[in-house]
Amino acid sequence: MKKSTIATLISLFVLIPATLLLSRILPGRVHYLTSTLVIVYILIPFFLSFEGKKPSARVLVLIAVLCALAVASRAIFAMLPNFKPIYGIIIIAGIALGAQAGFLVGAVSAFASNFLFGQGPWTPWQMLAYGTCGLLAGLLYFRKDKLPRDPVSLGLFGFISVLFVVCPLLDTSTVLTTLTVFTPTAILGIYTTAILTNLIQAGCTLVTLLAISKPMLRKIDRIITKYGLLE
Amino acid sequence: MPHIHIQDLSFSYPNAEAPVLQNISLTIHQGEYIALCGQSGSGKTTLLRHLKSVLTPHGVRTGSIHLDDTPLENVPAITQASKIGYVMQNPQEQPVTAKVWHELSFGLENIGCDTATIRTRVAEMACYFGIADWFHKDVSTLSGGQMQLLNLASIMAMQPDILILDEPTSQLDPLAASDFLNTVRKINLELGTTVIITEHRLEDILPSADRVLVLDQGRISALDTPKAVGALLWEKNSPMFSAMPTPMQVFYRAGATGQCPLTVREGRSWLGSSIPKTPPVSYLPAPKPFDSAATALEVKDIWFRYSRDSQDILRGASLSVPAGCIHAIVGGNGAGKSTFLKAICGSCKPYRGKVAVFGTNTKAYKGNLFQNCLAMLPQDPRSLFVKDTVLEDLQEVSKDTAQVCETCQITHLLDRHPYDLSGGEQQRAALAKVLLTKPRLLLLDEPTKGMDCFFKQTFAEVLCKLKQQGVTILMVSHDVEFCAKYADFVSMFFDGQVLTTHTPASFFGGNSFYTTAANRMSRAFFQNAVTADDVVALYQKNREAAQ
Amino acid sequence: MHSDGFSKYHPLTNFLFFLGAILFGVLFQHPAYLLAGMLCAGIYYVLLQGRKALKAIAGMLLLLLIVALINPIFNTQGSHILFRLFGRPYTLEALVYGFAVGSILVITLLWFGCYNQIMTEDKFTVLFGNLAPSLSLLLVMVFRLIPNLLSRARQINDARRAIGKGGDDLPLKEKITQGMAVLTALTGWALEGSIVTADSMRSRGYGAAKRTCFQIYQMGFGDYLVILAAVLAAIVTIIGAVTGATDATYTPLLWSAPVSFFLPVYCIYLLIPTFIHVKEVLQCRIFISRI
Repeated sequence: MKKSTIATLISLFVLIPATLLLSRILPGRVHYLTSTLVIVYILIPFFLSFEGKKPSARVLVLIAVLCALAVASRAIFAMLPNFKPIYGIIIIAGIALGAQAGFLVGAVSAFASNFLFGQGPWTPWQMLAYGTCGLLAGLLYFRKDKLPRDPVSLGLFGFISVLFVVCPLLDTSTVLTTLTVFTPTAILGIYTTAILTNLIQAGCTLVTLLAISKPMLRKIDRIITKYGLLE
Repeated sequence: MPHIHIQDLSFSYPNAEAPVLQNISLTIHQGEYIALCGQSGSGKTTLLRHLKSVLTPHGVRTGSIHLDDTPLENVPAITQASKIGYVMQNPQEQPVTAKVWHELSFGLENIGCDTATIRTRVAEMACYFGIADWFHKDVSTLSGGQMQLLNLASIMAMQPDILILDEPTSQLDPLAASDFLNTVRKINLELGTTVIITEHRLEDILPSADRVLVLDQGRISALDTPKAVGALLWEKNSPMFSAMPTPMQVFYRAGATGQCPLTVREGRSWLGSSIPKTPPVSYLPAPKPFDSAATALEVKDIWFRYSRDSQDILRGASLSVPAGCIHAIVGGNGAGKSTFLKAICGSCKPYRGKVAVFGTNTKAYKGNLFQNCLAMLPQDPRSLFVKDTVLEDLQEVSKDTAQVCETCQITHLLDRHPYDLSGGEQQRAALAKVLLTKPRLLLLDEPTKGMDCFFKQTFAEVLCKLKQQGVTILMVSHDVEFCAKYADFVSMFFDGQVLTTHTPASFFGGNSFYTTAANRMSRAFFQNAVTADDVVALYQKNREAAQ
Repeated sequence: MHSDGFSKYHPLTNFLFFLGAILFGVLFQHPAYLLAGMLCAGIYYVLLQGRKALKAIAGMLLLLLIVALINPIFNTQGSHILFRLFGRPYTLEALVYGFAVGSILVITLLWFGCYNQIMTEDKFTVLFGNLAPSLSLLLVMVFRLIPNLLSRARQINDARRAIGKGGDDLPLKEKITQGMAVLTALTGWALEGSIVTADSMRSRGYGAAKRTCFQIYQMGFGDYLVILAAVLAAIVTIIGAVTGATDATYTPLLWSAPVSFFLPVYCIYLLIPTFIHVKEVLQCRIFISRI
């Protein structure tokens, strides 16, 4: 068995249950710590499998370019302060390079952009949320022809996945750091206060994918075929 | 013992009709300095890439390459990585890491050196290349010249025996370029590293070269010492002759015989020995001065700085450009030339002074300044490419592309991807895109950067055609030879100001450093001879007068 | 920013300290420990950031207040009812608990604020270079590319303006269209450049052998000393935590363990970077006065 597979199994069936058990035993507010640890356990197999593949120079640079584009994209729209095309680019990366690379692009861009905007307790959650975004796109669209890939469909996919997957994950981090009890009303309260910003994020993703999914995918595909990447 | 031995090497790309390389046989000895030249598409880069297995392109190859008597493909990758260094053209794109120290250590990390070894090697390189001062800097803060030096240093840290350089200075300004080439020369002389280099600026490398290899359509058309190659190219009437250094061109075109000069110094002593010290004809009749009633551009006393507490970049720059001429601005690095162009087209907002285009203040144009009026060709043509074919890109501006394409000589390139074009073609495609806005005043920022002499020629033809159509051209350039040949006026930019404006003949004739090679070799004898043609003409007149 | 003494230590020393400080900060909910944590983190934060820090701290305190005031709305446990809101009890215990949770949040924010200043990207990547070589190289490459892409984006923007595409006062739709065109052009440029970068990597032997990671930072005597001190203080603090010295409950009843000898030890741990910072500043003054 591959190292990364073993690590995945261990983390899923040993570490995560053990950590959750620990949070039951230990007194005080350990849930924040344990939830972060669980995220780390989820991230590790992805990272290990990337390490295990010993990526070629071209694949490494391609992924780095997409991460850097995702981080830099926000500055390009500096004239529109709330406009964040980052999810759109992560989704495009997932579509073009597959679920695993999509996850990596998401997680690494979240981490890298926090070096510019500040790391915090939200960092692991962002890595997970952004990564999931790329992962979903890769699972649904990479080398699959079942789903339509026109800009409108991709835009809708982006809108839905940002609104119902990415943003809720990010809000969970807020829930865990600010609440003293976790009753349904309390949790729902946090989620609803964030709904407006989440809608804006989802809208930006929709616009981004409408506008650039086609040319960007074409440009990435050109590089992939011209230089025989991903073979 | 031969160091590199190439035997009967032929290569063709998959699905290509003609082979790129044909029957190349070549032996290179340890410590040789080989200059490789040839027109764009002659196979220079392909040949260089064959000397390093990881960079060799895919395709059909016959023949063999031996490194120290071992077939290259049997030399382990790790040995090739450290023994054969390869510097590429674009300084910006070669660095991999974010810090200077990390870039220097990158190759050593790859071949598995331990930290102690890397520490000493990196320190050594930082001292040898004089980069200790910026050792802890971010790579992104370096200038192009510094970055290319870093690329070289990070390769030298691996202690290569062979250094391959593929047009390493084409993106650098002349000062940084000669700095870089001097360093390469120093490495060759002091460390005995074999150097194989391709370069547009032949006048800078031929004096250092032991042998020159000329490629023509994938075949070796000459391989000898620089002077012998010059003689051979002249004899064969080869187009490559026009890429040779000015003194050599003047020598042969003037009909002289014997040992040809290679450098300005040799050219000057040859002139001195063949014509009298005070020649009977010392100047050419001045060409008819350009005169135009209208003014295309009037810049008055503009001041600009990037932020409130930074220094002024433009310090009261003023300039007047008559309509219909080609006006060149030359000057050192960081004098503010490019900023001056940006200020004219409004990307930089001067805090004082005014800019008027065709008699109207640019502020009064509102949104119409860039329609049928003013346009600028950026320094890097790639800034303008958005789409996947040249045609689509042009159509982003206007559907009516036919005439402009013909002017720019890119009609045969329309279906190609902009990034598959060579540098000179990219420049013309970008120019076409700019011209589709139908500008009457065209600004060019370093238009000949990275072009070989053939592309320059074509580009000059395009510019002259535009001039005939009545377009006013203002260009900023480091390329004094190009300005001397094609501009109607030349201005010197220094310290944020336009200092002097003259015709090329009196401008370059009056300067002693900032001038053309032809002027430097002939200034002791002739007045205002600034191009090779001028010197040839004067030389011949004096010879006739003497007989 | 002033030059900070602690940031000159080995990244491992920096990292271990922050790991401990943040872990303790999240885990301890004893009010005395919260207060100590906030003060120690706050002092170092101010030392690092100077005047800028005060504004940020004011923002964090506001956040603390919001978290504290909102929590009793959801958490109705506790015996001292202050008043009723929408028919639900608003209790003193829940309010105090809210303050405690808010404090934990502020402590983590403060420590992360310091961490961001100290653990720059190059330190982080060197630290994890041996553990995850490909990933840390990927991160390094991303950090190389970001400024590169930003300056190219500016070039593209300028170039497009000079042919009449884009500008300052455009309608929203046009702004988005032009921004997208810049992003597309940048993508094309960056992707073509990536091939050169990949060649430059392979040409310098990437993938030819097992990569090592150059450790430009060397562990010195000072690092061992600081780590030793930190580990000792941390062990004592952990013993305290295990024996219940840091325990406290808020709802339904307010209760906390008596303050003991473990609190000053915890403070010593947290103040390590502050000590080093102050020592460095004083030393510097003395050396300069001798010149």
